[in-house]
Amino acid sequence: MSLEILLITAFGGALLTYFLGKISGKVRDSLAVGISLVLVTFVANLYGKSPEKTFYFGFFGLGLVLRLNMLSWFFAIAISSLGALCTIFSLSYMKGRERTDFYYLMMLLVNASMLGIVLTGDLVSFYIFWEIMSWSTFLLISYNRGHALAAGMKYIVMSIVGSIAMLIGMLSLYKTYGTLNILEISTVITSASSGYILFILIIFGIAFGIKNAVMPLHTWLPDSYAEAPSPFTAVLSGMLTRMGVYGFLILLYVIVGLRNVITPRLLSYHYILAWLGAVTIVIPTFIAMLQNDAKKLLAWHGIGQGGYMILGIAFGTSLGVAGGIFHTLNHAIYITLLFMSVGAVQYRTGGERDLNSLGGLIKKMPIAFIGGLLGIAGLMGVPLTNGFVSKWLIYKTLILQGSPFLAFAALIGTWGTILSVYKFLHNMFLGQLPEKYENVKPAPFSMQLPIIILSATILLFGILPGIPLKVINSIGTSFGFESLNVTLWGIASETGALNTVNIFAAVLVAVALVWLVFRSTAKSVPVAQEDSYAAGAHTPVDKYHYTAEFYNPLYKMISPFLRDVIDEFYYWIASCIQRLAGIIRRIYSGDVGNYVMYIIIFLAFLIFVQLKWKPW
Amino acid sequence: METMVTKVIQIILSPVLALVVGVFFLGLARKIMARIHWRYGPPLIQPVIDMIRLFYQKSVSHGRMFDLGIVLSLAGSTVAVLFLPFGKICPLSSSGGLLVILYIMLLAPLGLALSGGQGANPNISIGISRKLILSLGYEVPLLLILLAVMTHYKTISIMEVVSSQQSTSWSIISFPLFLSGLSYFLILPAILGIRPFDMSSAPQEISSGPMTEYGGKYLALATIEHAFVLFISIALFVNLFLGGAANPVIFFVKMLVVFVPGLCINAVFPRFRIEQAIKYLWKWPTLLALLGLIVTLAVRS
Repeated sequence: MSLEILLITAFGGALLTYFLGKISGKVRDSLAVGISLVLVTFVANLYGKSPEKTFYFGFFGLGLVLRLNMLSWFFAIAISSLGALCTIFSLSYMKGRERTDFYYLMMLLVNASMLGIVLTGDLVSFYIFWEIMSWSTFLLISYNRGHALAAGMKYIVMSIVGSIAMLIGMLSLYKTYGTLNILEISTVITSASSGYILFILIIFGIAFGIKNAVMPLHTWLPDSYAEAPSPFTAVLSGMLTRMGVYGFLILLYVIVGLRNVITPRLLSYHYILAWLGAVTIVIPTFIAMLQNDAKKLLAWHGIGQGGYMILGIAFGTSLGVAGGIFHTLNHAIYITLLFMSVGAVQYRTGGERDLNSLGGLIKKMPIAFIGGLLGIAGLMGVPLTNGFVSKWLIYKTLILQGSPFLAFAALIGTWGTILSVYKFLHNMFLGQLPEKYENVKPAPFSMQLPIIILSATILLFGILPGIPLKVINSIGTSFGFESLNVTLWGIASETGALNTVNIFAAVLVAVALVWLVFRSTAKSVPVAQEDSYAAGAHTPVDKYHYTAEFYNPLYKMISPFLRDVIDEFYYWIASCIQRLAGIIRRIYSGDVGNYVMYIIIFLAFLIFVQLKWKPW
Repeated sequence: METMVTKVIQIILSPVLALVVGVFFLGLARKIMARIHWRYGPPLIQPVIDMIRLFYQKSVSHGRMFDLGIVLSLAGSTVAVLFLPFGKICPLSSSGGLLVILYIMLLAPLGLALSGGQGANPNISIGISRKLILSLGYEVPLLLILLAVMTHYKTISIMEVVSSQQSTSWSIISFPLFLSGLSYFLILPAILGIRPFDMSSAPQEISSGPMTEYGGKYLALATIEHAFVLFISIALFVNLFLGGAANPVIFFVKMLVVFVPGLCINAVFPRFRIEQAIKYLWKWPTLLALLGLIVTLAVRS
């Protein structure tokens, strides 16, 4: 199966879905799901193969190169599978909404363009697919109108800044080397001066940093995640934002290459990037604690978890890079799951995502609760979930390479995460069920299925991390790192091994034993939620549940330090530009007399110049 | 084959030993507290008597998570014990080291929080909120301390930390690490949740916080869980800073030496408010731990 057919299926399928939607909604839905499933099988079939094909379009003699290697396969399979699950999830979520055809078109287009990004081997087509992705994302973020329009605008403005940075970098590369083929650049760039390499690293770093929301380029993300339709937020947070990670991997380890990494002058770039990653972990994680909007809370974690990936990748050891890549996959799985869980709750409660007005939904929506529970377990990195293994790899290399402060940032980020995600789960699913949600039904099957699949994947990769780590290891060796000693259940090495199967067995036996004790002793009586201790007083029926300002004492202490100054700074710049534009706009007064005056003044100026200096 | 058998025996033995030691500490705590208060106090085995009685008593359940949470919590503590060397006994020493211990220790409070969450009682939620804030409070210095230890010994394996100490000297009296050791000692009451840091279970304010809805076997399991937590936090200190021990008896004596001063603090101090606790934890212990880490790093390079 060749790559161009894959891309044609992806893009053609998207358009076909749109037009079929005009005829019949049912056909459109099944086609959308069908296309995304076909893409998954296509990509899965390509495992281990490395086709490469160049097409010439006569664009400055630059070829459109399609190629596949382990890195792009890894990303492609993640994109297509998560895309398929999110499309299935959309089926019920989008039912009966307006502009559904358009939604599916954009959703499939986003997936197709992401596949394009990872499958191209030259920067021109990379840029083209990148732009398709950015614009279709913009249209989907602002799908709901209202607040969403502002969020979409913020996204696209920052995205364009990134694109321009990338364009400048590309032009400079083309001018210097006369080629934009990634592999060719990587061979000729070895002769470049360190200053030029630093320039390339910074200019592309801005582009990918904006996409991956690395601080201080993160401000588009919270609003966009919160306002986009939930199934698309899942795609956006899972893979789309992580195209920035893919970009960084290509930039640091393919274009510039590992041999330039170890030289001391470039170490500083990596070191600074690693520290930016660390800052990106800590601050957003603590800001997440202050959020009362379920999706915004997750969005801030999306930024924070991106920091782990950057930290691992930038640190540049074989363990660190493996951890960074693995974390990208793990994060994609659990954050998609979490947004689906929120989406299911929203779907059944009329779009409610305010954490203070939900509660007690565990009894009504058990599958969504399980999704939420395993999702937050992965996000925290509880052992036996996938997030633990990737974080363990990153911590281990940071500690053993003598960077305890980076490790501290990463670890304390995890402990901050616990607070906010517990609040997330508690306020939505635990506690007392408000009366108005008495008749909430479980999510429909098309929502439960992706939730179940993703929950199972979290456990599978947590207990047998060797499955993805084998692929990641071969990516690492293709970058020139030494091979890791990967086993099916972790990593064997002299300086501290990891054995997840042992942990799994121990937990399983311990749970079984305690459960046995629990069952064999005196039975407990199930009681209604109102039947709880109130020191003899009457228990209020509706809201006898503590959720609002859950961490109030802590808020008071830390919130003064957690203002998003960077966002305020960008808004300040935006308002300055707006004011400047307002002044410039006054030139166009709409009065013909004024325009005649401009012409006369300009002519007078020309005459003055001619008389004074006689240039013409 | 023989190693297999010893391994299996160790796996069975170490949680049992931990349970015995933990429950003994609970009894001892009541006795010592009573003597400090000029009372006679209950017999040493009172916690055991209480537990047996509780297992036969009626209790209420608020749902599936209410049951599973407490089971998960206790199972998590049991597994954590398997990773901690108790003398020479450490069945799962080579499955991930200190980082795994750190994370497995998470399961216990998380399980209690999930279980309590379904209890739908504001007292529980307030208790959990305080417990989580407090744990964030002591994790800041604790992580700095653990990082200093791991950086100093250049390993993430707790067994290696112990054996390096046995071949040289205890960390608490060695040059850069005594700062970290002191800091650990200062935050130990917070980790154990004893006064002045018992705000999460404050019986007089929020009717025991997370345990409000527990009765009968839930309370018994929570007591066992408490015993394990006592054991784990003190054993971690003994392993990291007091050189572990060659055999369980010496290890137990060392644990006792750490625990009794803590009890004396518990007996005479009033309770902090949660923000006072955070202010304390993020001031001197954190500064000491930070200094310890910086010096360790400077000495190493």
